[in-house]
Amino acid sequence: MDLIASLTVNGLATGMLIFLLAAGLTLIFGLMSVLNFAHGGLFIWGAYAGVWIYYITNSFLLAIIVAIITGLVLGLITERLIIRPVYGNHIQQILITLGFMLVLQELIKVVFGPDQKAVHPPAWLEGSFQMGDVILIKYRLFIIAIGLLLFLTIYLILKKTRIGLIVRAGVMDREMVQTLGINIRFVFMAVFMVGAALAALSGVLHAPYSGVIYAEMGLEFSILAFIVVVIGGMGSFTGSLFAAILVGLAQAFMAYYVPALSLAVNMLIMTVVLIFRPQGLFKVKG
Amino acid sequence: MILKSMTKSNLIYLGVAVILLILPFILTGRSVQFMITQIFIFAIFAMSYDLLLGYTGIISFGHAMFFGIGAYTTAIFMDRFDASFGALLVAILVAVLFAAIVSFIVGVLTLRLKSHFYAMLTLAFAGLFLVAAEKWRSLTQGNDGFTFKVPEFLRDSTTIYIVSLVCLVLIFFGLRRMTQSPFGRVLVAIRENEERTISLGFKVLHYKVLVSVVSGIVASFAGVLYMLSLRFVNTSVFATDVTIDVLLMTIIGGVGTLVGPILGAALIELAHHWISGLANVHWIFERWIILYGTVYILVVIFFPLGIVGTIRSKLSNGSKQKIPSKKAG
Repeated sequence: MDLIASLTVNGLATGMLIFLLAAGLTLIFGLMSVLNFAHGGLFIWGAYAGVWIYYITNSFLLAIIVAIITGLVLGLITERLIIRPVYGNHIQQILITLGFMLVLQELIKVVFGPDQKAVHPPAWLEGSFQMGDVILIKYRLFIIAIGLLLFLTIYLILKKTRIGLIVRAGVMDREMVQTLGINIRFVFMAVFMVGAALAALSGVLHAPYSGVIYAEMGLEFSILAFIVVVIGGMGSFTGSLFAAILVGLAQAFMAYYVPALSLAVNMLIMTVVLIFRPQGLFKVKG
Repeated sequence: MILKSMTKSNLIYLGVAVILLILPFILTGRSVQFMITQIFIFAIFAMSYDLLLGYTGIISFGHAMFFGIGAYTTAIFMDRFDASFGALLVAILVAVLFAAIVSFIVGVLTLRLKSHFYAMLTLAFAGLFLVAAEKWRSLTQGNDGFTFKVPEFLRDSTTIYIVSLVCLVLIFFGLRRMTQSPFGRVLVAIRENEERTISLGFKVLHYKVLVSVVSGIVASFAGVLYMLSLRFVNTSVFATDVTIDVLLMTIIGGVGTLVGPILGAALIELAHHWISGLANVHWIFERWIILYGTVYILVVIFFPLGIVGTIRSKLSNGSKQKIPSKKAG
């Protein structure tokens, strides 16, 4: 029982981090059908920038803030310099964002050095609670809490505010929103920046969780985020949460019971989804 | 068929091929011959990529996996069985079949969807192959890799040079014939406007899967040749770098031209050679991906046609086609 509980907490925490990464990606795709292969690059930059501040100031809160700012700035740069010149051309977009992803990943090695960096959770998040037999690691609960909080916030913004209305309408029918006199490119830029900030936040939160960060995580998490977006349905915000949790749990349980398959499990889920439900588990309703 | 369409451009290509055929008897240095051989092999690999990206508009981010399949199949056969010509033939057959099966599965799964699904699934599949090659140590010896023997007559660097060149020429003319055939025309139609091609009554999926299988087979064959020239294998053949290289070769050389990737292969291989020589000069040259990535981004934005494509569109009076390959050659 305690084993299942702790594996579940593990899976949920991983799922939440993946969700933060995938949420931006799915909205970016839904709005402008831009598939951003550089998303993992934003993730890893958030992680490194945050950890760097964390090393210096020893304040995890400051690290999170710096990571978010890094994400916003990089998001702006990516949108302006990389994505804008090739709007409307899918092939060029895919090619160029992958190129940018690699540049971002290599720049990490130039700026922060090529070695892995070890990261520990801050003192106030270290340790664990004990509930009966079940040991709950504080940091994992912290991640789950932050993930849920952000999900609810973004969900409410999307459902209840005018901005959210525009974004949701844009995901369904971009041209129609434009016809109504709304500058969809501006909306897109804002969503892109927020998505980038979420990716960067996911990166810095992931650092103490995995205990170590390295530049190649960029591409790994790009792939992971895509897998989640495909499973959840491209453009579906709620779908990305469920898919992320599904992938997180599958990873956690597989890593324990069938370690050999733990790397392949995401691919297997994605393959099954692609065969039986290529539009993803949650389809954006038009 | 080739003789019948003996046009001016064909004569030029054949002329270049003849010069290249004579070259190893003038440049007898092993390392020079080895480098040009590498260019030939990567040119074959890049042409297989061009078939997807340039002619059909399919993006693969895992093309290294077919290259790696060819490489590992050859290496394992040569290592486990005697290094005879028969074993090599069997290895080639298995490599080609394996690549065909994998590309068929990936293609059937994702090619009915939008282009990014194929890009993603190939990226992920290539990652799986890399992990498999690293973990299945009893077969692959992991990241360390292993050396092996090749059939006696292929050990001479001049021989492997000529074998690679002959393969390159044959595959080039074969693929050119294919892209100029009605089949190739349909591929270009798919690239230009998939919906219209469907409404004209073509079973687009069949064409796309078939071209991805052909591309996989050619890439796998390039992997086989690579192994014959290198006689050493490790997991680097599955690495993303290989895919990036082939992307660069195709895009810088010129998509949808077949000649472009050959030129691109030469440029990138020479650049590799040059940059690795500069690593002692400044540390930035160790991070060559940054340089390549930047060049690549600039090319995608400003010269999406690549070298050969840009020259051709200039020659054909600045016609504003997106990718001028309607009349290849």
